[in-house]
Amino acid sequence: MNAIEIKNLTKNFGEKQALGGLNMTVPVGSIYGFIGENGSGKSTTEKIICGLMHANGGEIKLFDRPLSDPDVRAKVGVLIESPGCFPNISVWNNLMLQAANLSIENPEQEVAKVLKMVRMEGSASNKYKNCSLGMKQRIGIAMALLGNPVLLVLDEPINGLDADGMRIMREVLVDITKTYSCTVLVSSHILGELEKIATHYGIIRGGKMIKEMTAAELEANCPTYVALKAKDMEKTKKLLERKFDRVVEENEYIRVYDAEKPEQIVKYLFDNKITVSEIKTDKINLEEYYINLMDNKEVK
Amino acid sequence: MTNQITFEKNSFSKRLKSMLTIDFRRMFTTPLFYLMVGICLVMPILILVMTSMMDGTVNINPQTGETTVIEGFKNVWQIIGTASSASADAASAGMQMDLSSMCNINLVYFISSVFVCLFVSDDFRSGYAKNLFTVRAKKNDYVISKTLSCLVCGISMLIAFFVGAMIGGAISSLSFELVGTSVGGVVMCMLSKLLLMAVFIAIFLTVSVACKQKSWLSIICSLGASMLLFAMVPMITPINATFLNVVLCLAGGAMFAFGLGYVSDLILRKTNIL
Repeated sequence: MNAIEIKNLTKNFGEKQALGGLNMTVPVGSIYGFIGENGSGKSTTEKIICGLMHANGGEIKLFDRPLSDPDVRAKVGVLIESPGCFPNISVWNNLMLQAANLSIENPEQEVAKVLKMVRMEGSASNKYKNCSLGMKQRIGIAMALLGNPVLLVLDEPINGLDADGMRIMREVLVDITKTYSCTVLVSSHILGELEKIATHYGIIRGGKMIKEMTAAELEANCPTYVALKAKDMEKTKKLLERKFDRVVEENEYIRVYDAEKPEQIVKYLFDNKITVSEIKTDKINLEEYYINLMDNKEVK
Repeated sequence: MTNQITFEKNSFSKRLKSMLTIDFRRMFTTPLFYLMVGICLVMPILILVMTSMMDGTVNINPQTGETTVIEGFKNVWQIIGTASSASADAASAGMQMDLSSMCNINLVYFISSVFVCLFVSDDFRSGYAKNLFTVRAKKNDYVISKTLSCLVCGISMLIAFFVGAMIGGAISSLSFELVGTSVGGVVMCMLSKLLLMAVFIAIFLTVSVACKQKSWLSIICSLGASMLLFAMVPMITPINATFLNVVLCLAGGAMFAFGLGYVSDLILRKTNIL
C-alpha cells in the first residue's frame, strides 16, 4: 500500500499550467523528499494532497482511499507556507484549538508532548505574534504532529530554523516514521538536510515528475571521485586524461571519477613530476545530483 | 514499517462537535464578541438618553426660517418595534423614515454582519483554514458550526440591545406602558427577531465564505444585502407580533440557513481554500 498515489494530476491557473500530468508514489513509512525549482509545482501538489486546492484532472489516493474520505483526511498533519495560527492568542491556546479540531481526547497532555518534542515548552504562554520566525516554524511542526498523524505534509519546514532547530526537526521526523509508521512528504531547498533523512526522492520540473528514486538508488547514482589540486592544473588534467576515462575540472578541482585509490593518482602524477597540493576523496551529493539533473548533465 | 493502517471512523457528529468546540471557544475568547455585544448594550442607552435630552428642541432652518421640533422616543417599546398597523402606515406613506424607524433594535442585524465577516475571514487570514480543511474532507460541518455560533452571537447582541433599551428607558424616565400590544406581543416580537437573525446570518456567512480573507469586501457586501432586507424587518417583526410572525420567521430562518448553507458548502467545495 502506498501512502500517496497520484496519477496524471493536472492543475491550471488560468492559462498557466502548474501541473501537467504529475505521477507520484509515496510508500507508507517513507520520508519522501520532494525536490524542484521554485514554481515547479511542489506547493501546488502538496496543497491538492491536503484538499486546500482543487485539481483540474487526475487521481489522488491516500492509503488506497479517495482524497475525499473524511476518515483518512482526519489523520493528515500539515505545515504549508506558515502555521495556521491566530496571532493574538497564545501558542498553547492555538495548539489547544488544533487539538479540538482533531478531537484529541487528552488535549493538554498531547499539546504538552508536542511542545516538548519541538523544545517549545517554555514559550507556550507567548502570544503567537510575538514569536520569532524559527519559533513559529517549530510551532507549525508541533501543530502538524498533533494527533499522531499517519501522513505529514511539510512544505519547506526547515526554513528559518537554526542549527538546533534543524537537528530537532530531523530527529522528530525520523522518530515518528519509526515509532508511529508515519509517512512524511517534505519539500525543501536545503538539500543537504533532506539528504540526511529522506528514504525516497521525487524530483519535479515544470509540473511533471522527472525522477523518483529511493535513497539507495540515489547512492548508486552518485559516484565517488578523487578531487585534487596541483600547480599546473591544465597539464595535470591532460596527463590524467591519458590514464583515466572520466576527468572533469569543476569548482577549482580536477575530479577523477574512475580512480580506485587516491594513492594510485598521486603516484602516477609524482612519476610524471607533478606535485599535488591537495587531494581528497568525495562523493556526488544530492544537491550536485539535482543540479546536474536540472542542467541535463550526465549523471551516472 | 507496517502496511496495515486502520482509520477510525470520523462521523459527522464527531466532526460537528469538534468544529463547534473550536468556534465557540474562539467566539467566547475573542474581544470582538464582547465588543459587539457591548456596543449593542450601550447603543440603546445612548440613543434613548440623548434623544430624551433633545426631545422638544426646536430647530430653525436659517435659510428658510422653517422650524422643526425634534421628537424623541415617547415609549421605551418604540425602540424595540412598531405596531404592525403603524408599520403599514409608514410603508404606505412612501417609507417615511423617522427616529424610531431608523434607530431601533433592527440596527443589530447590520452590526452582526461585521462580526460574522470578521469571524469567518479571520480563519482564512490567519491560515487556520488550512488546519481546518486539511482534516475536513466534508465542508458542511464548518458551515453548520459557523451558522450556529454566529447565530448565538447575533442572539446575544439582540438580547443585549433589549436589556440596554430597558436600562436606557429607565435612565431617561420613558414610559414602559404597552400601547397597542401586550407582554405576549413583546415576547413574540423578540422571539421572531431572534429567529429572523438566522436569515441574516446565513446571508452574511455565504458572503464571507465567498470573499474568504477579504473581510472588507464581505462587510460591504453584507451591509448592502442587509440594507435590501432592512425595510422588511419591522413588518415581519412588529411589537404586537403573534405566533404567526414567529412561525414565519422560523420558516424563513430555516429556509435561508439550509439553502444558503448549501451554497456556502458548495463554494467551499468548489473553490481553493488558499
